[in-house]
Amino acid sequence: MEPNTTTSTAPIGKKILCIEDEHFISELYVRALTRAGYDVTVEVDGQRGLELAQTNQFDIILLDLMIPTITGIEVLRRLRNPKETSPLKAKIIITTNLEQREDIRADIENQADGYIVKAEITPHELVGFVDSLYL
Amino acid sequence: MNHLQKYINQVRSHLLIILVANNAFLIGGWWYAHHIQHLSDINTLILLGSCALVLTVGFAFLSTSYLVSPLAAVWRAVLHIAPDTADTQAPNLQKIPLGRELIVSLVTHIYQIASITNTIEKIADKEQTNLDHDFIATSLPLPLVVLNKEDTIIFANQALAQYIGQNKTDMEGKNVYSVLDMAFTNEQTFDAWHRNARTNKAVAAQMWERVRLNLPDREQTNQPQFDLAAYYNQDNPQGFETMLVLFDHTNQYAQDDQAMSFVALAVHELRTPLTLLRGYIEAFQEELAGKVDPELEDFMKKMAVAAGQLSTFVNTILNVSRIENNQFTLQLHKESWKDVLENAVSAMHARAEVRGIDLQVSVDDNLPEVGVDRVSISEVINNLIDNAIKYSGTSDRIMIRAYQTKDGVVETTVQDLGVGIPENAVPHIFEKFYRNHRNRAQVGGTGLGLYLAKVIIGAHGGHIWVRSHEGEGSTFGFTVQPYNQVAGRAESSNNKSEIVRNAHGWIKNHSMYRR
Repeated sequence: MEPNTTTSTAPIGKKILCIEDEHFISELYVRALTRAGYDVTVEVDGQRGLELAQTNQFDIILLDLMIPTITGIEVLRRLRNPKETSPLKAKIIITTNLEQREDIRADIENQADGYIVKAEITPHELVGFVDSLYL
Repeated sequence: MNHLQKYINQVRSHLLIILVANNAFLIGGWWYAHHIQHLSDINTLILLGSCALVLTVGFAFLSTSYLVSPLAAVWRAVLHIAPDTADTQAPNLQKIPLGRELIVSLVTHIYQIASITNTIEKIADKEQTNLDHDFIATSLPLPLVVLNKEDTIIFANQALAQYIGQNKTDMEGKNVYSVLDMAFTNEQTFDAWHRNARTNKAVAAQMWERVRLNLPDREQTNQPQFDLAAYYNQDNPQGFETMLVLFDHTNQYAQDDQAMSFVALAVHELRTPLTLLRGYIEAFQEELAGKVDPELEDFMKKMAVAAGQLSTFVNTILNVSRIENNQFTLQLHKESWKDVLENAVSAMHARAEVRGIDLQVSVDDNLPEVGVDRVSISEVINNLIDNAIKYSGTSDRIMIRAYQTKDGVVETTVQDLGVGIPENAVPHIFEKFYRNHRNRAQVGGTGLGLYLAKVIIGAHGGHIWVRSHEGEGSTFGFTVQPYNQVAGRAESSNNKSEIVRNAHGWIKNHSMYRR
C-alpha cells in the first residue's frame, strides 16, 4: 500500500482495452495505467467490448465478468473461438470480485492469460501485474 | 499345589502300608511255617512263594484301582466336555477314594476352561451371525458400513439404509465409493487415509468433521452432513477390513452454512466498494505525497491500513465460507519460503507501523523449497501477524522466525510480547468463533482467523501450535513441508504448470506460454 517509487519498465504505448462497467474502478485503473505509460480504452458493455477486441489490435484486455449484454466469460469464450475470432495477439486478464463456478473457472484457466481479484489489489498493484506480462 | 502334595503323601502312605503289611505277612508266615509247623525249607519256600504271589497280585489290582480312579475321573471329565463324546457321563467325584481334593480341583478347572472356550466360540459365532442377522443393525442407531479389502461393502446396517434412503441389500456387494460419494473439507480425505493405512499400517483409526454426502436425488442444500469415524484392521479374521460410522450433524451444519452463506453474501457485496476505497486512498497517497501536512499523510496511511484490514477480513470470511461449503481447494506449488514469508510480512508492515510496532524477520539460510498454496499460506501469515499486532499491548516488536526442524519440515513462528492468552483459553484458541472473552471488548476480530489458519495449515499437511503466558505474550508456530514431500499432491492438484500464482491472482508463465 506504500506508494511505490520505482519507475515502470512497461513498454510505452502498449494498448489496453478495459471492459468494466463500474466507472469508479475503470477511472482508477485508467489513471494508474496511463501514468505508467499505457494507452487505455474503456468499454462498459460486453457486446461492444467483444467487437472492439475483434476489430482492434490491443496488447492487453482487462475483462470484468459481470458486465451488461453479454458476460465476460462469454466474451472470453468467443475471443478464443477460432471460428469467430482470428487468433488474438492480446493477452486477456480476467478482473473480478466473484467466486467462479467450477466450469467457468476451468474455462478461465484454459483460455485467459491472467486472473485478478479486484478487491485484493490496488490500482498500483494492477500496474505491477500488467507490467509483469512484459518482463 | 497343596492338593497335589496331599495326594502324593496319601499315595506314598498307602503304598507304604501295603508294602509293610505284605512284608510283615511274609515274615510272619515264614516264622510260622519254620518254627511252629517245622516244615522243610523247600515246603516253606513253596508255601510262602505262592502266598506272596497271591498277595502281590491282589495288592497290585487294589492299588491300581486306587491310583487310577482319579485319572479316570479326569479322563471322564474331558470326554464329557469334548464335542465328539459329549454323551459320556460326568464323573462322580464322591466315589474317588484317593486325592479327592486334587481331582475335584482338576475337574473344576477343566470345566472352567471348557466354559471359557465355549463362551469365546459363542461370541465369535455371535459376531458372525449378528452381522448376518441384523443384530448390530438393531442395536446400533448409527449408520455403519463394513468394507473388505476390495472396498466392497460386506455389511451395511439399517440405520445407514435409512440415512441415505437405499435398500440395505442393494448396498451390500457394491463398491463403497459408488454408494457413498463423500466430500471432505480438505484433501485429507477418507480415500487418502485409507490408501495410506493399507500401505503403512496394521490398524488405524481416524475421524473427519463436516463430511458431506452427494446423493444424486437430493439438492445440494439438502445433502446429509456428518462426522465420520473409520477403523482399519488389516488382519481382521472375518475380513472386516474397514468399518465406517457416520455421526449425523446435518441440522447443525446446515444452520452454520445458512448463517455463513448469508454472511458470505453480505461480505461479497463489500468487495466492490472496498476495491474503490483502496484505489482512491492509494490515489490520494500518490497525489498528496510530500505536499500536505505530515499529520494528513499519517491519516492517509492509517486509512490505507484500515482498508487493508477490511480486505483481510473479507477474505477470511469468504475462505471460511468456502471451507463450510467444501469448496476450499489448495494449489500446492514449489516456492522459496523466504520469498513467500517476506512478501506476506511486507504486506503487513504498514499495519504494524501505524501501531508503532516493528516486525523483525529472521529466516534461516538454506531452507528447502516448500510445497505451499501461496495465496492461502499468505493469509495464514497475515492472520497470525494481525493477531500479534492486536494483542501486542504496549510492546513494540513482533519477531518472525523461520527455520528447518530436525524432522525436516519448515517451521515458522510469530512471537509477540503482549498480553498473552489465559491458560484456560489456550486449548480452544483454534476453534471457530472462539475468542478470548476477556479481550473481546477491547480488541476487534471475527474469531475466524485462527480457525482458518488451522484449516489451511492442516490442508497443507502441517500443524499449528501456540505457546503463551499471560502477560508475557504468545508464540504461534506452524509447519509446512518441503516440496519434495508433497510433490505428488502438488502435481495432482494442479497440472497447469505454466500458471504462476501470486498472492492475489495468477498469470501464465510467458516463457513457456505462447499463443
